[in-house]
Amino acid sequence: MNNPSAPQIGIVGTGVTSSRAASVLHTLGHMPRVEKLGSASSLFDCDVVILAHGAPHDALASAFVAQGVAVVSTSDNLADVLALIDGQDRAVARGVPVVAGAACLPGLSGLLVAHVSRAFESIDEVHNAVHGTGGPMCAVQHHDSLAGTSIGWHDGEWLQRPAGSGRELCWFPDPIGARDCYRFASPEPVLLQRAQPGLQRITSRVSATRRDRLTSRLPMLRKPHAEGLDGGLRVEVRGRRDGRRHVEIVGVADRVATVAGTVAAHTALALSRGIVIPGVHNLGEATMPNADILDGVTSSGITLHQFIGR
Amino acid sequence: MKFIRQAFFAISLGSMVAVVLRRRTKVVVAPQQGGWREVTPQR
Repeated sequence: MNNPSAPQIGIVGTGVTSSRAASVLHTLGHMPRVEKLGSASSLFDCDVVILAHGAPHDALASAFVAQGVAVVSTSDNLADVLALIDGQDRAVARGVPVVAGAACLPGLSGLLVAHVSRAFESIDEVHNAVHGTGGPMCAVQHHDSLAGTSIGWHDGEWLQRPAGSGRELCWFPDPIGARDCYRFASPEPVLLQRAQPGLQRITSRVSATRRDRLTSRLPMLRKPHAEGLDGGLRVEVRGRRDGRRHVEIVGVADRVATVAGTVAAHTALALSRGIVIPGVHNLGEATMPNADILDGVTSSGITLHQFIGR
Repeated sequence: MKFIRQAFFAISLGSMVAVVLRRRTKVVVAPQQGGWREVTPQR
């Protein structure tokens, strides 16, 4: 039975990310209401809503903001996230917080950058990579993002490069290991630059196979899997510590839908406590309770790894 | 004959440049040990 004083949390979408977010909230004693995209308006009476369906989220987020409902979006679509950020004035005027990109990359990556940056005097570079996909819509997004234009932050300028270029061998926590990763159309550099304005270089890559790159500009040749297998995230932060260059590398190895659902659930709980000021935010920003959310994520079973090399 | 001499000269010159560059380049050693270890975030 629902506790009337407990915050009402709604989830839009009935895929794997949605079910993982609901599972985390159930574990913590909440009773989230899960609705399909077509009946999302029945969640207008919630305090916080998690958008866990496929992109775009912008129009629905605007509708929830108009109703005074705080929004957590798991979208990792570049155009969609930029549109969500553009809703800053609407969110402030209505007095509700909106969190864009609360998933894996972006999402957990921002939390990890905020966490790792405490080990530095200053940070100037962040290079992130992700492996794997969540549900079918995430797989479609992965496919499309290899055909678009990637953006990166380089010495104070936005650089545009073809997605699918810039191969780099990235090492993820075991059992994933080394994967060839490429530039992709990700909102991560934009969100990280908002969170850490002092950064000079931000890149974001995704693992892909030759077939992924070859077919990225074609329609998907076959139906995506119900859920990707093991996934991973790798966050490399460079800066200065004790007056010298220093590098820290952290990551996770887990299913992407599990990571995204867990991050979204704990972000929604943070919003439900009313400690985030109105406006559009992203994880890693100083306005977010990043440490609390990261604590929640790790206590829900996401294990962090650090690379120790010599 | 002239062509062969020029070819040998070009190969020799290329080799000398390569030797100079290789000697001047610092050797970067990739991490040979270490790996991923689990961590718990500290407040």
